[in-house]
Amino acid sequence: MTAIDSKPTSRISRRDFIKVGAATAVAGAGLAALKSADKPLTVQTVPLEETVVKTTCALCPSGCGLNVRVVNGKAVKVEGNPLHPLNQGVCCLKGQTALEVLYSPERIEHPRIQTGERGSGDWKEISWDEALGIVASKMAGLRSSGKAHGVALMHGDLCGEMRQVVQRFMQAYGSPNVISRESLGEDAARMAMWFSQGVNVLPVYDIASANYVMTFGGNLLETSRNLIGYLGAAAFMHRGRPERGKLVAVHPRRSVTGIKADEWIPIRPGTYGALALGMANVIINSGLYDENFVRDFTFGFDDFTDTDGNSHQGFKSLVLESYTLDRVSAVTGVATDVIARVAGEFASNRPAIAVMPTEAGELSSGSALYTALAVHALNALIGSIDAKGGAIVQRFPDLKDWPYYMPDSTALVGGSKERVDGAGTQFPLAISVYQNVPERILAGEPYPLEMLMLLNANPAYDMPNNGRCVEALLKVPFVVSFAPTLDESAAHADLILPASTFLEIWGDDYLEGTGFPGISLRRPVVEPVHDTRDPGDVLLDLAHRLGGPLAEAFPWTSYKDLMLDRLSGFDWKKFEANGNWSQLVYFNAVPGSQAWNEVVGRDRLNAPKDGRFDFFSRELFALLGSDSSQACLPHFEIPSTLADSTAGALEYPFLLVTQPLITQSQEWQGIIPTLEECYGLQGNVKWDSWVEVSQKAADALGLQNNDRVWIESAADRVQAVVRVRAGLWPDAVFLPPGQGHRTLVRWGRYADDNFVVGTNPNALIEFSSEPLTGLAVSGPARVRIYRV
Amino acid sequence: MTRWGMVIDLDKCVACQSCTAACRMENNTPVAGKNQADMGRTILWNEVLPLANSESPDASEMLIPRPCMHCDDPPCVKVCPVQATYRTDEGVVLINYDRCIGCRFCTVACPFQVRYFNWFEPEWPEALKAHLNPDPEVAPRPRGVVEKCTFCVQRLRKARETAQAEGRPFSATDYVPACVETCTAHARYFGDLDDPNSLVSQLAASPRAFRLQEEMGTKPKVYYLKQG
Repeated sequence: MTAIDSKPTSRISRRDFIKVGAATAVAGAGLAALKSADKPLTVQTVPLEETVVKTTCALCPSGCGLNVRVVNGKAVKVEGNPLHPLNQGVCCLKGQTALEVLYSPERIEHPRIQTGERGSGDWKEISWDEALGIVASKMAGLRSSGKAHGVALMHGDLCGEMRQVVQRFMQAYGSPNVISRESLGEDAARMAMWFSQGVNVLPVYDIASANYVMTFGGNLLETSRNLIGYLGAAAFMHRGRPERGKLVAVHPRRSVTGIKADEWIPIRPGTYGALALGMANVIINSGLYDENFVRDFTFGFDDFTDTDGNSHQGFKSLVLESYTLDRVSAVTGVATDVIARVAGEFASNRPAIAVMPTEAGELSSGSALYTALAVHALNALIGSIDAKGGAIVQRFPDLKDWPYYMPDSTALVGGSKERVDGAGTQFPLAISVYQNVPERILAGEPYPLEMLMLLNANPAYDMPNNGRCVEALLKVPFVVSFAPTLDESAAHADLILPASTFLEIWGDDYLEGTGFPGISLRRPVVEPVHDTRDPGDVLLDLAHRLGGPLAEAFPWTSYKDLMLDRLSGFDWKKFEANGNWSQLVYFNAVPGSQAWNEVVGRDRLNAPKDGRFDFFSRELFALLGSDSSQACLPHFEIPSTLADSTAGALEYPFLLVTQPLITQSQEWQGIIPTLEECYGLQGNVKWDSWVEVSQKAADALGLQNNDRVWIESAADRVQAVVRVRAGLWPDAVFLPPGQGHRTLVRWGRYADDNFVVGTNPNALIEFSSEPLTGLAVSGPARVRIYRV
Repeated sequence: MTRWGMVIDLDKCVACQSCTAACRMENNTPVAGKNQADMGRTILWNEVLPLANSESPDASEMLIPRPCMHCDDPPCVKVCPVQATYRTDEGVVLINYDRCIGCRFCTVACPFQVRYFNWFEPEWPEALKAHLNPDPEVAPRPRGVVEKCTFCVQRLRKARETAQAEGRPFSATDYVPACVETCTAHARYFGDLDDPNSLVSQLAASPRAFRLQEEMGTKPKVYYLKQG
């Protein structure tokens, strides 16, 4: 407990404890209890040294404040921190099970190196010094031979300053290849925000103040990015205030969000964009849009002529011409009267919000960016941009500048090379193209990859692409994983530098989901359980071993030092007391004011920062050139997989819908037993996967509940147990992600060694990328079903 | 006398199952594992259950969190042949694990199926035992006894001790069970049903309030508020 300076709160001696404990535990039991008093209920043998330590959760991107109860040096219970503005004392089930992560028997206890063939599982445990020596000499060798750019780092969610540390490390080393997992889903929303509103952030929604919330995609109340805030806000909108708001969920399946929403609108998979544009048609046609806002603070609503004298179609004439109710209804399968009604409700119950889908597979159908743009255009139509009860912009605290360092020629040359994922070249608009990495490695483009680091990323599970991802990992000469458990990718690595859990390290996390800026503090709750280290510390250590510009870029000895330095402008006492610092109030910008320029147009590079929301994206226009008028407006193209008459459709008649569940944690999938035991709420399935089929499909195939079936796509086939469900689009099947990991522990009695829990639906999907944006195209995949 | 009761607002509840997980971590219910889970032997004192209404035209569904109802007239207590399960003066139904002989009459008698039988000695992988709650009331139950929700009786005891140590009278608002504390939607309320001014007694009188299987006459003390 040396790292922790909290005071013990125990006030009661052991003797009192047992006395009072026994007395109250059996109070009222009467004679029955007294008779068994010869064997006391209490068998406490050690006095309890209790503390409560405040830290910040890292099991999902929300980053809630936690109060961890520590007894005799062991963490025994997690509660929400009431002094945290995000979760305000509550804690979701992932946070509750954090201790099963901390004490998981599946954690890798020491650094290890693969001695046999890659993937063979012949591991040898080595010391940190030895392991980091190997990595440092490898990296130094590559750097001196001019191959620094051949090193890539793929990462998943990163907290707080770690995002900058990773970028800075690779920049100083001389590689452009920092590849984020966001292209699998969230990047679509981020890009839509940038290309329309001109701010490069993920959207945040002020649901608590909204009267009408329409969520495109079924995960708002399950796995959305700012989940904990939205859960509380949805409840508040329903029962916490005098006027009840309405929540509408648009999804092919009635998910938990659909059940808890006031209305569920079933829709053909992959057609959200068409519905949003159909609603825009109704809103514009009936004059329900916010005319003043659209006139004064948007661009491209009406047809216009640019400075070169070329005329362009505007948003209004596009939706009026091309997205008539009949056509939209035919595409989406939503009845015309339903579209007209919800459009009317949406526009006339302001403040209203249209929520962009953010999860992989929800919107990707070959036009993820335009789907997100179409949905966000609804917010602009009714003036819900940074309004109370609208789509607001997350602000971040101003930290001091990073210290300057002098990059050497290797860093400059390497950093300017083409990215290995093709972002900026093959995909001109992309930020990262995570799913493209394996193909590029296999093709050896644009140069052979010499070394790959995996940080919170498990590409072999995320996009197996029929085994090609593992093939690609094996083709890279040297793979280092920071995985805390032996995941599918780490199993094929050369070296594992096991990461500590968030309960053992110092760290920071930006407050996201509230709008206002804030920082949440992470601190060690218990002594490290195993011989593991924080990846931040490891990167700093590597930087010092490599020397040169890297050592200069990181003048700190540990991540804690770095963090303390970065946060030195803040009131540390407040951090200590609350576990976080925040501004606590969000100020909505008044359109046209000084503050308005912060929320509209701030991050534009090529388009004017004139405080106008772009229906016609001038940023896209500048990037794509003058003959791209059509590609600058939100529009919808029917994805080829949706056409029912193709040969593929006849062979594979069903559309696969996947949507993450609240019971799955991105990084710790498959190893948290309590999450497995409440895994499939709607399917009533534990420790397994299930496939939902509609009544129509079940009748046609003669399937019943509990039948085991194969689900087969062109890529692969997997097994699952059947649940016939009314709340599902007739031609869709639903298979939840997050399962299909090999566990190494015998969980419970009579368990087989090394059994695989459920199946991985990603195996069915051939991941490809959208040509412009590099966003993953992962669905809806076509599948067929037959009995095992 | 305090009469502990709970109100769950289904209109606020988002079926996130945090109560289920919080209950397990607070009360040391064992991991069943796949084999036993397949046999329906998972022990979750506070499970969220999907209820499909096959008779309604739109096949509506409900998701209902279900703790022990702590009935005022509990059938489990009546059938227990050894008086192992009992109702305290404050209305909480508890089990004396030392007396329980594992006959499972109570498990059958309970109309809400909230009572769980320990078919085996509870097992955790060695490493995971570190996080078990050290409070004596929730020491892992032995093989062959029945267990269920206790309204977190250990928290009640600790709240009383704290009040005593601070030299003030114990108040009904001093304590809530783990599921209420963690509820992400603030959908759960807990308190004294006999106090007409308490939030729970007022909510229990709401026109939206109902109880599960009221017709059985067991007088449950867990109230639900209708969704919508």
